[in-house]
Amino acid sequence: MTKTFKSIAIGAALFTMGPLTGCGTDDSGGPLGNVDALIILQRPARNDDGNVFSYTSYIAGAHLLKLSPPTAAGTVTPICCDQQPELAGMDIQSYDLSFDATQIVFSGHSATDSNYGLYLLTLATGEVQSLNSDPGRDYVYPIFLPGNKILFETNNVVSNAVTDPMPAQHVDEYERATTAQVGTINIDGTGEELGPRNLSHRVQPSLASDGRVIFTQWDHLGPENQGDLMFMADDMTTLREAFGKEGDSASNSTLKAREISPGRMVAIATARDRTVQSGAIIDVRLGLPYEQDGVLRADNMMSEANATFVNLTPDVPVDMTPSSDTVGRYYDAFPLDQSEHPQLLVSWADGPVETEELAAAGLNAEFGTYLYDTNTQERHPIMQDPGMWDIMARPLQTRVAPPATAAEIDSSIGEEALIGSMNVYDSTLHQFTPGSIYGVRMMEGFSSEEGFPEMFGTTEFEGHAALGVAKVQSDGSWLAHIPANVPIHLQAVDVFGMSLFNEPVWTSARPGESRVCGGCHENRAITTVIDPGITQAAAFGPFDAMGEVPRANRIMAPADVTNANLIAADGTGINKLVGMSWGGSDPTQTGTTGAVQQVFNDNCVSCHGADNKAGIPGYTITDAKGNVVLNWTFNLSADPITVNYGPATDDGPAMQTFSASYFTMAGPDMEAIEMNNLMITGNFKVYMNPEDAANSILIQKVNPTQLFPVPNAAVRAFTTTPHSSVGYDSGRELTPTEFYKLILAADMGANYYARENNPHASSY
Amino acid sequence: MKTMKKLIAVALMLGAASVADAGKGGSAASIQAAIASNGQDAILAEVERTETLECSACVPLVTQLLTDNRYAVREVAAWWFAKRPGLQQRLAVQMEAALQGGDSVGIRNAADFLGTTKEYKALPLLRATMSRGSALTVDARLALVRAAGYMAHTGGNPILLAGMADSDASVRTAAVFAWRDVLGQANVTPVEPLLTDGTPQVRAAAATVIGAYRDARVVGSLEQLVMNDGDVTVRRNAAWALGKIGSTQATEALTAASHDASPIVASVARASLHALH
Repeated sequence: MTKTFKSIAIGAALFTMGPLTGCGTDDSGGPLGNVDALIILQRPARNDDGNVFSYTSYIAGAHLLKLSPPTAAGTVTPICCDQQPELAGMDIQSYDLSFDATQIVFSGHSATDSNYGLYLLTLATGEVQSLNSDPGRDYVYPIFLPGNKILFETNNVVSNAVTDPMPAQHVDEYERATTAQVGTINIDGTGEELGPRNLSHRVQPSLASDGRVIFTQWDHLGPENQGDLMFMADDMTTLREAFGKEGDSASNSTLKAREISPGRMVAIATARDRTVQSGAIIDVRLGLPYEQDGVLRADNMMSEANATFVNLTPDVPVDMTPSSDTVGRYYDAFPLDQSEHPQLLVSWADGPVETEELAAAGLNAEFGTYLYDTNTQERHPIMQDPGMWDIMARPLQTRVAPPATAAEIDSSIGEEALIGSMNVYDSTLHQFTPGSIYGVRMMEGFSSEEGFPEMFGTTEFEGHAALGVAKVQSDGSWLAHIPANVPIHLQAVDVFGMSLFNEPVWTSARPGESRVCGGCHENRAITTVIDPGITQAAAFGPFDAMGEVPRANRIMAPADVTNANLIAADGTGINKLVGMSWGGSDPTQTGTTGAVQQVFNDNCVSCHGADNKAGIPGYTITDAKGNVVLNWTFNLSADPITVNYGPATDDGPAMQTFSASYFTMAGPDMEAIEMNNLMITGNFKVYMNPEDAANSILIQKVNPTQLFPVPNAAVRAFTTTPHSSVGYDSGRELTPTEFYKLILAADMGANYYARENNPHASSY
Repeated sequence: MKTMKKLIAVALMLGAASVADAGKGGSAASIQAAIASNGQDAILAEVERTETLECSACVPLVTQLLTDNRYAVREVAAWWFAKRPGLQQRLAVQMEAALQGGDSVGIRNAADFLGTTKEYKALPLLRATMSRGSALTVDARLALVRAAGYMAHTGGNPILLAGMADSDASVRTAAVFAWRDVLGQANVTPVEPLLTDGTPQVRAAAATVIGAYRDARVVGSLEQLVMNDGDVTVRRNAAWALGKIGSTQATEALTAASHDASPIVASVARASLHALH
């Protein structure tokens, strides 16, 4: 079945098909002169394909097409999937061409499928096979790897028979969408392996010439909220940041990276949503650029600190501003050469490619395939079928398979993973005072998939569980066994257990993976010989941070939650403090308690209850018109409260319900205060800073005593007079357990909920 | 040109959208504009962007979205209220009343709200509502199943059991899939009879869920499906399930299926055979 589509030229004045010459790969025929045919993915046009991390958007009627010759006058031949009746109603989410250009792997959803699965098309025969992906989960963004493997993203969840037999997949930073994580499978459908998980999405992978996989990761830890480029080895180990976290990226999200030359990636820069997953095209240089044999490379001194970008489409918005007529937005780009100004195969749509305006007009963005000259910034139309997206065009030709980058797994480590640093003081992110770090605290992250009510408190932090503190040895080294596949957050802590510095991202590792770094985010452009065997930490052996403890047991025993004496004089028992539940599982109920509330109940409420006997002046929140939104006084009781943020002149909506002590300590959402132009007057203080116990007023007030290596009541964290001089209800100083509960509560995000007070655990 | 003029007109009408990062910069006006466009993605984006915004003016707008005909819109609106527990609880009371006294559309909307906001305390009422069975529309029953699935609480199992016995195949299918993801679910015994359901979609779903739980008790039933079912998707999913279960008892059936007329079934059967070895 062959038919010729009529390619159309939009904006003829700008896009008239001209001679395709320039910095191409072939002198006689321009950049596509040595290309016999293009493969193009055609999907029905749509406006509601979600934000840049959305991966399911089913509309029947997609095809893979072959365009030969690769010009506007070429012949279009559908190559998938009308040839097999069982594939009727197919939508194709993404595809990749094998190294020998004989097969195509694609993510497809037929009319009878419940989800997107992996399919393999053999070009010579036209036969389509299924790759044995879980029919009840989505498998998207497949790419070929060396060694007859395929890497994909999936909302299927990696499990472990011992530690995680039936986990739920993480949901994203908004606690809404199920995240996509990485996995691999052999091209015969055997050997599926699912990789370690981020706490949010990982999407849009592609293969670099050094054998690593580059992909977009949604980074979210408290206020951190962006889509950055990351690398991993092809066995899903050795995660490494590439672009966006440290330096100034072009936009909130960097997508669809594809290698131009070693160290250079062409990518889409755009806002997270409302842009139909399209934006400007940028040329990302991951290191210092240099020319070699006519190729502009950037694989010298590759590190985020050295990464830069060049905007190849400077008129295109990199945010969600509607694009202008004739400027439009780009959906994807594929480089055809490695010059400074490469020729690109692109998908482009004209007009305001922004969902609201398109919806209001009852239109869809119509992406067509173009050749884009980045030097002259001219587009030459190749194909656009009205009502369809013609995207992801690439030459139907062989390519060189990169070397395999696997073999990072050490079977002797078993089902857990090993992490650590050669010298934790070696850091580009923070300058530590020599000798100031006692250890490195590891905390597990989780989202509302465990049954939490869409939020853990008012501070935007995900759920945390403390896995322990690994001692830093005198040479600065540390090692720990952690649960594999689990997002982990690290903090360097002092002898009081307070964070000195947060690593502002989640990281994870596979079973048997050894992730030992040179330092604490050391200079990535400098070669570091990683040999943990030569460190003191190796000599002492790795700390056990619950590496083989089942998820269900990474929680405090119920009897321990309100125990004020878990930490013994010799320092043992500290591993019993895991999740810092603030109060009861239902904050609207009176008389409930939790790990944190216990401290207040036993020591504080006689003076700092609802009656504010201590007489601490309160504060008032008013709106822009001067209406009082809230009057609040210091209150450490467990009383349920409902804060009415509405104007005082009407009944207003109740917006926030937690206990009085939580509201007192964590305060109202300051971002909300700022965004709504609310004003706070009076004695306003946030007493507990998320992830920053050391600078929290509460912690400074109680002035904790030394915790590590053993509790020492004679040594205080601060020079100020401890609050115990005024006296506590208990008639004693806070115990080491109580100090550490408050510190953990702050350093783990000042959340209300933890596994210990998960409402899902109750019967209803 | 006509298309372009229409777009330009709309652009002028709406004004330029604000520059905003993820999760920042939302406002009631932005939600209002998104609603006016009727664009699903735009509505979802603007509601998400007000995640932490204290915005009284947003409340009636988002409340209105709780009755939208599109599930995705109702879901994001409920999510917005879940971020505001005090207000969520007020609305939960209204939604529970709607479960008891509302029409089917009201029940659908209420179930979606209570499910998305994980109002576990409403589970008894959701169970009671589901027991009304065919007195409710398919949409309402689907929403009740969806709510139980979203909560993923074993307290929702009676809803899912009723869903699996429903007269409508889409409800049965949804209930089967939801059963899989209930946290702490003990087994898939209730799913087993659906391997012989009259609708291929349900059989395919049942095979998937049974495979995910590696329920070896029904290998024989799955063998029958992989060899004899008339539907390709059912045969494929049964082949996948047999591979997950890994019982060598299925060798003969999978060997036969590896020569299935459909390359889709044959390829999965071959991969599953490999898993048995």
